[in-house]
Amino acid sequence: MKIFKFVFLFVAMAASSLCAQDGPAMNVIVGDLDNPCGIAIQPETGAIFVSDSGASRIVKIVDGKVEPVITDFPVDIYGKGPKYNIGPLGLLFIDQNTLVVGGGDLIDGEEKLRVYDLKDAKLPIKADQMKTSSVLAAAGEEVKGEGNFYALAKTADAIYITCNGDDNKGWVAKAGFKGSDVASIERYLATKEATQIDAPVGVTISPRGELVIGQMGEITVPNDSLLTFYDANSKEMLLNLKTNLHDITALAYSNRGQLYALDFAWSDTKQGGLFQLLADGDGVKTKKIVALDKPTAMAFDADGSLYVTVIGEEKKGQLIKIQPGL
Amino acid sequence: MKRTLVVCALVSAWMVAMQHDPAVAETPLGLPTVVHPSDNAPSDAKIALGKQLYFDARLSVDDKVSCASCHDPKKGWSNGEATASGVGGQRGGRSAPTVLNTTYQRFQFWDGRADTLEQQALGPIANPIEMNLPIDAAVKKLSAIEGYQKQFQAVFGSPVSAEGIGKAIAAFERTVLSGNAPYDKYKINKDESALSDSAKQGMKLFFGKANCSACHVGPNFTDNGFHNLGVGMKAEKPDLGRFEITKLEGDRGSFKTPSLRDIARSAPYMHDGSLATLEDVVEHYSKGGIANDYLDEEIFTLKLSGEDKAALVTFLNEGLSSSTYPDVSAPELP
Repeated sequence: MKIFKFVFLFVAMAASSLCAQDGPAMNVIVGDLDNPCGIAIQPETGAIFVSDSGASRIVKIVDGKVEPVITDFPVDIYGKGPKYNIGPLGLLFIDQNTLVVGGGDLIDGEEKLRVYDLKDAKLPIKADQMKTSSVLAAAGEEVKGEGNFYALAKTADAIYITCNGDDNKGWVAKAGFKGSDVASIERYLATKEATQIDAPVGVTISPRGELVIGQMGEITVPNDSLLTFYDANSKEMLLNLKTNLHDITALAYSNRGQLYALDFAWSDTKQGGLFQLLADGDGVKTKKIVALDKPTAMAFDADGSLYVTVIGEEKKGQLIKIQPGL
Repeated sequence: MKRTLVVCALVSAWMVAMQHDPAVAETPLGLPTVVHPSDNAPSDAKIALGKQLYFDARLSVDDKVSCASCHDPKKGWSNGEATASGVGGQRGGRSAPTVLNTTYQRFQFWDGRADTLEQQALGPIANPIEMNLPIDAAVKKLSAIEGYQKQFQAVFGSPVSAEGIGKAIAAFERTVLSGNAPYDKYKINKDESALSDSAKQGMKLFFGKANCSACHVGPNFTDNGFHNLGVGMKAEKPDLGRFEITKLEGDRGSFKTPSLRDIARSAPYMHDGSLATLEDVVEHYSKGGIANDYLDEEIFTLKLSGEDKAALVTFLNEGLSSSTYPDVSAPELP
């Protein structure tokens, strides 16, 4: 049964070849971001939106320049050294005008999943001018508050959000949506209980509709990241694979159905980069496409170009475009 | 009838092979299969050699300290003292970590400075405050013992070597396993009677309110990571642990998460042995560790009641104590 599932989940991976031996053509679109941690491509327009997280704002990229769209998010600090200022994290459009923003700017339990209506809005707007927001508050002694909504992915009727709060559970949260109306966020899938590994961070939806999670693991432990497939409706774990990557921060399928991961590699950032995940027997192997300095988020556009945010050096965070072909 | 005999013969042969090939020896309930390095496959002879070396005090400069001196099977494979002791009564600053299930650890030593058991095994031999015998001298010393000469030839096809010493000790240590605990019987075999009511309550706390499983997770009850609990951080010159290896600021005062298997046997606790009992350990976490700039984000005030604390200790004591604890005795030495 496991092999049967495996073949289906990875069938797209085996089909096509990789980019050129020397790595893909790429260029830096913007180079002065402050801890960019999220990216979304606007439907219809193809405009690129980025969480300029340390600068507590979301920006739109226009002709290689940043235009503030949502500003004045609170700022929190992530890590104990190195430390990173963070504000908004994961971004997702559910339609052309509705932008969902995962917060990283408040304490666990108060962190917000914010929903913005950009239609006819006089930009930039303030962070608190959202259409709706919701939180995953603590409840009693048993249920811990959630925060750091790292990354978002959607199916036809639900948004899945990776969280960092209860390290006994490792929640992936869910918020249903209908049209442009987003329901409140709720705890959905306890990934740490399922995998025994900490920190769901990367998330995407497979071409077949499975929920695919990149379990970061401990930042002090190399090579412990997992790639895990779940049935999004039943929550059944379909596959759980050791990737040998250090700290997966993002997952995305290319337009050709190939699966890619970003590896932050906390304990040795020189090891970080963009990797292709390839079926290998009943496991997975990785192929490094390009080295990147602390990559955080990525998204493919309609043409197959890949946009990646990297933290890089202080206040020199980048938005990188990798040409179609992945 | 003939077919039955053939099957029986095959089964018998397989069972004999099981008994004599440690590589396929049964893994205790609750633990994953032990993975052996491709260049250090186990064999009975190699494990026997490693066991002898482990217990042989001649690997120290004064013939008085062996691996087992600080990692004593009778004391939870630690030494029952706050810190490790070496030749001439010298004391290190850290406790002797248990050897139990160390094969499953991603890193060795409290600060994770060794990646493998093979690397780790040689460290204390040469360490001036442990066994204080330079590896070259250790090789020369063992080479003068006829029994070891023959065994190294038989196992490795070569004379006594540093590499062989490390491999043999590591192969032995990979047999030191703690599983088959009441927790495993409860969780895996669904044996409701395996845990007392108090232990069940402690288990619920462990995986919930008490936040223990934020770090003590998986079959070996460790995330294999490094965390600052505040222990020792108020000292004038704190032991900075993992930071000394990585030089990452956030690693200051962080130490490896130990396994909790058979934890009741290996008091005192923490990297400096500063907490004498499991009750002390639970109290440490209940009050939120010891505040410092690098305290792990998973350490916070828990507000555990007296009943909660008692239940947690019961779970640790009863729930994680192996019914097949490897109470190994010293072998005859060559």
